[in-house]
Amino acid sequence: MSTGYLRRATVDLAAYRANLESLVERLAPVEVLAIVKADAYSNGIDVMVPEAVAAGIRWFGTVELEPALRLRRAGIALEASFFAWQLGPDDDYAGAVEHGVDLGVSTLDQLERFAEAARDAGREALVHLTIDTGLHREGCLPADWAELVTRAVTLRDEGVVRLRGAFSHVSETSEADDHAASVVFRKALADAEALGATFEKRHMSSSSAGMEHPERRFDMVRMGSNGYGIPVTEGVSASDRGLRPVLTLSACVVRVKRVPAGTGVSYDYTYRTDRDTTLALVPLGYADGVSRRAQHGVEVTVRGRRYPIVGRVAMDQFLIDVGDDPIEVGDEVLLFGPGDGGELTIGEWADATDTIPEEVSCRIGARVPRVYLGRRG
Amino acid sequence: MTQDVKITVDTSALRHNVAVLREAVAPHAVMVVVKANAYGHGAVESARAFVDAGVDWLGVADLEEALELRRAGITAPILAWLHAPGETFESAAAHDVTPAVSDLAQLEAAAAAGVRAVHLCVDTGLSRNGAVETEWPAFFRRAAELADRLPIEGLMSHLSNASPEEDGRQAAAFVRATGVLGGLGVEPRLLHLAASAAGLSYPGTRYGLVRFGLAAYGLSPFAGRSAAEWGLRPALALSAPVTTVKRVPAGEGVSYGYVFRPERDTTIAVVPVGYSDGVDRAASDRASVTIGSRTYRVRGRIAMNALVIDVGDDPVEVGDDVVLFGDPAAGHQGAADWATASGGITYETVACLSGALTRRYV
Repeated sequence: MSTGYLRRATVDLAAYRANLESLVERLAPVEVLAIVKADAYSNGIDVMVPEAVAAGIRWFGTVELEPALRLRRAGIALEASFFAWQLGPDDDYAGAVEHGVDLGVSTLDQLERFAEAARDAGREALVHLTIDTGLHREGCLPADWAELVTRAVTLRDEGVVRLRGAFSHVSETSEADDHAASVVFRKALADAEALGATFEKRHMSSSSAGMEHPERRFDMVRMGSNGYGIPVTEGVSASDRGLRPVLTLSACVVRVKRVPAGTGVSYDYTYRTDRDTTLALVPLGYADGVSRRAQHGVEVTVRGRRYPIVGRVAMDQFLIDVGDDPIEVGDEVLLFGPGDGGELTIGEWADATDTIPEEVSCRIGARVPRVYLGRRG
Repeated sequence: MTQDVKITVDTSALRHNVAVLREAVAPHAVMVVVKANAYGHGAVESARAFVDAGVDWLGVADLEEALELRRAGITAPILAWLHAPGETFESAAAHDVTPAVSDLAQLEAAAAAGVRAVHLCVDTGLSRNGAVETEWPAFFRRAAELADRLPIEGLMSHLSNASPEEDGRQAAAFVRATGVLGGLGVEPRLLHLAASAAGLSYPGTRYGLVRFGLAAYGLSPFAGRSAAEWGLRPALALSAPVTTVKRVPAGEGVSYGYVFRPERDTTIAVVPVGYSDGVDRAASDRASVTIGSRTYRVRGRIAMNALVIDVGDDPVEVGDDVVLFGDPAAGHQGAADWATASGGITYETVACLSGALTRRYV
């Protein structure tokens, strides 16, 4: 009897380390901060962070405070700094002080709360002042910047706040817009210095800008998708950048059936076979992160050959048309991966399903077991 | 932060829906499907509510989902129908889970493992799981031979919902399958073909048992028809507090790609929910949310952990509770509205909600 598994997300930790090592080397002496938000793009933050430390990473970005605190409490990567900047109205500033988590602070209210927690604990709050250079999400508007900086300098002089950084996030709309954002950032830094502030780490660039615009790297670059081997710059592949995709999504064929011409396939019969053919059932559906847009011609790979998804993708499964090929129950089906087996890359999969690779990565569901390869020795 | 993003599940709505559906299909039995983390509602707690409300069966796709329920102490009958190649069914036997089997290999393995009973799954036209008609004689003959030690408790198939005519053809094939099986002296106690759509609309497709998925959560399986038409109540609401409020001058871009540029000075609010929480990025610039009784558009691109809404000149503050979707009867956007905004279906809107989100049961 054939054997196999149902579904699987394979995470290549050796590739992750190699990607980060390569980025660290290329950007030196600029610091590389590894973004591990959204459970490290759903790869599993608890596993990925120690691997990144082994690759030389000493800064991590989690967006939210909670995962940083959880890792701190679990004793994971205590030698590294964790940085969070999307703060909730009742966030745990005392926890951030106690566990030495760096926070991006956008408002006077956030600054005062963080400082108060630091005063209570008799320790410094690790502050990055956040300037809004155009994205209009987090960040202090330029008009309010002087007030925020002035207060932060006062708190620093009182020994309550340590000015760890100044940071911004850019929109990646166009080169002109990002250039404009960098001008706003430089002016904000100059204004802050005039008010007596100096920062240990100034950072505004994430993956794309960090690679392409050395003049916008400042002291640190926040690397998200590049670390996972997902190039986000239009027209640039992972291999162009010397990076390797970390994630492979696969399943095993659970059923094969020969059907006559004219057979309706899956819900609503949006596809009908135009000849006698063989259909193979693949146990991955939209609840597992395979978008319903992945239908009608989006191709998966079995035994090194591409086959089209036919009919609607359902919650737990979809069908492929394998023609007259001898595909069997138990054969492994690759949706996307590094491309070694002829399969699509995550970037190609994202294009085919009309989204971005980050969304593909993040939305792989909890029902898909993560299998880790290449753990450090 | 993630613990601020909340899914609230009204378990009284889940129980209410079961009562409505039981009455609608009486005297037939009811199975509620709790696969895919109970369509995003949380498998264990939802299953408990459904069992409390008296469902006869729980249905899941795979055995791992069934075992999660068993480990949580749920003892109701559970049917699972999507199996890995070479599945031995030993875990099914050990935990009293009933497999639906689609081929001879699964049938033999289930018999060898000593499961309590099986349901036979037949393909009547959907072309997914189930034995096709040409396979029935051999498949059913072997099932009949094994029936002394492996009770054939049920016969099942699944409809394509392509059209009433197609569903009728499938129902006819299903009846043929019962005939072939009956000719071998096997008359399963539970015949089940209809799921939510057919269970609600085509009484002719109801046999001994009806499987309800989406409808049990108070959501409509039909585009353009509200679940309220059947007296069903949506159980799930997705909400998060505003984390940032900011005045933006006319013409300035907002969020990635600056796809939104307000035509007038306005106030935008950042909500810490993004596509990594399971909200489809395709709803960018289309979906709406509510704060209190006011409705606001999502503006700009939905990011991994955040989205932005345009609140005009309203006095929205940090900490205000934003409901992305919930019960339309309470003035909220429905899951169906988000499905429309993202070009998807309601099933997808709820089933794709991240398992990592905090779920609160009331």
